[in-house]
Amino acid sequence: MLELFQYDFMIYAFLAGIIVAILASITGSFIVLRRYSLITETLAHSALVGVAVGLLTGTSALWMAVIVALLSAWLIEYLRSYFNIYSDSILAIFLSGSLALAVVLVSVAGEFNASLFSYLFGSILSVTLEDLIVMSIFGSIALFLLLGFYKELYFIAYDEEVAKVSGIKVKALNFLLVSITAIIVALSIRVVGTLLIGALMVIPTVAALQYKMGFGKTIVLSTLFALFSVIVGILLSYFYSIPSGATIVLVVLFLFILSLIVNRR
Amino acid sequence: MKFDAPVIEVKNLNLTLNHQNILEDISFLVKKGDYIALIGPNGGGKTTLMRLLLGLEKKTSGNIALFGKTQRKFSAWHKIGYVPQRVTQVDINFPATVLEVVKMGRTALRGFFTKESDEDRQAVYEAMRKMDVLDLSERLIGSLSGGQRQRAMIARALASKPELLILDEPNTGVDVVSQQRFYALLKELNTKDQLSIIFVTHDVGVIGDDIGRLFTVNQNLVTCNDPKEALSCSQMSELYGIDAHLVHNHHHDH
Repeated sequence: MLELFQYDFMIYAFLAGIIVAILASITGSFIVLRRYSLITETLAHSALVGVAVGLLTGTSALWMAVIVALLSAWLIEYLRSYFNIYSDSILAIFLSGSLALAVVLVSVAGEFNASLFSYLFGSILSVTLEDLIVMSIFGSIALFLLLGFYKELYFIAYDEEVAKVSGIKVKALNFLLVSITAIIVALSIRVVGTLLIGALMVIPTVAALQYKMGFGKTIVLSTLFALFSVIVGILLSYFYSIPSGATIVLVVLFLFILSLIVNRR
Repeated sequence: MKFDAPVIEVKNLNLTLNHQNILEDISFLVKKGDYIALIGPNGGGKTTLMRLLLGLEKKTSGNIALFGKTQRKFSAWHKIGYVPQRVTQVDINFPATVLEVVKMGRTALRGFFTKESDEDRQAVYEAMRKMDVLDLSERLIGSLSGGQRQRAMIARALASKPELLILDEPNTGVDVVSQQRFYALLKELNTKDQLSIIFVTHDVGVIGDDIGRLFTVNQNLVTCNDPKEALSCSQMSELYGIDAHLVHNHHHDH
């Protein structure tokens, strides 16, 4: 198996996968506990608009995905905070709206082809060095902010009102969390694809929650689940020539089902 | 002797929502070491009044000052420990140990990216000791009984070393024995630590003898400085029909 690492693309694939697994599972823990899981799906579709813009203009699809996902996250959070619309309705509107826009843009670009397919379902073996650099830069910023505001985000997830009363800037941190989520979702599309990133953010945490531990341990277990799924998923993807996104999600799903069975009452 | 600014000073506070007066011309003063029970019928505005003080609702007019500063300029929120109404109904699946919950109380005091200091650890330990939850430290918050969870939540509020504790009907879902233990702990905090306490409740009976002042709110607010004479606070009995004998009925079982 070691011969795998003779190839640069394999090394890039594993590095990209590891970055995504760590970031997606940590961010996912906060998102799941906030009952905000659906935002990951929505932002993934917004990221697809970015990909379409990239394909249309010949610019970096990954950069564009990050930018569009960020703008979309801010708009969602703004609408949620300042207008009287239910959160899940906003998410549903953005999800289908983004997909529609992406389809129009891709079709204008004449790019309904394998390249688009790789963004939808993940094609980790096509990760380039440039992708990896973009992922490392944004990934480090996201990780830095997540660790820096870990305790604040945890408090807000537990009890937003009491956190606010204690003097924590809840609104600003909510913006921060959706921004980080947007960045990570966009970065992950190479690895798991837009249609499947939601699973990598949500399922490891939900699986870890079944073990009924404190938050610190839950987040560590969730990250381990995500890492395991990504590594095993990439190997399966390589050996059986299946899109990496699908194999990764099936592995994490397997871990989830196993966790349910182990912890059944 | 050093002059202590009042803990809370409210003047002519009004709240109107959808052309309806929720709270009308409320004025009162809370001094250091006060132990106040805030009672009133459901929908009378007790919780809303507390939420106004805490900045969770916006007033229509009037002034609120906290520790000598107008609410707008007030930033030392760690001086106020708040235990909301629904403490006993937290999500039982939330991954949080008692220790993790109590530590939340220090969050706002610690800065971005700071490590936990000795002072933080000491404050968390002290809060847990006072509320007698040290042995529950590693237990999940969802696995506790109503009374234990209530003490854990108050420990969280105490972890920031507040000077004022606001408890909003903290007794929902707590058995009588735990309640009595809880009142004894509150009394200790009030007398020993000089902690000012505002206790929002619809059942003033059980705290009876401990409380120093009684506020009744039902759109208007009436203060009564000696709760044992609640009946002679004629407006109070007239306006709200308070069953004043309950006030003396200390530590009763029912």
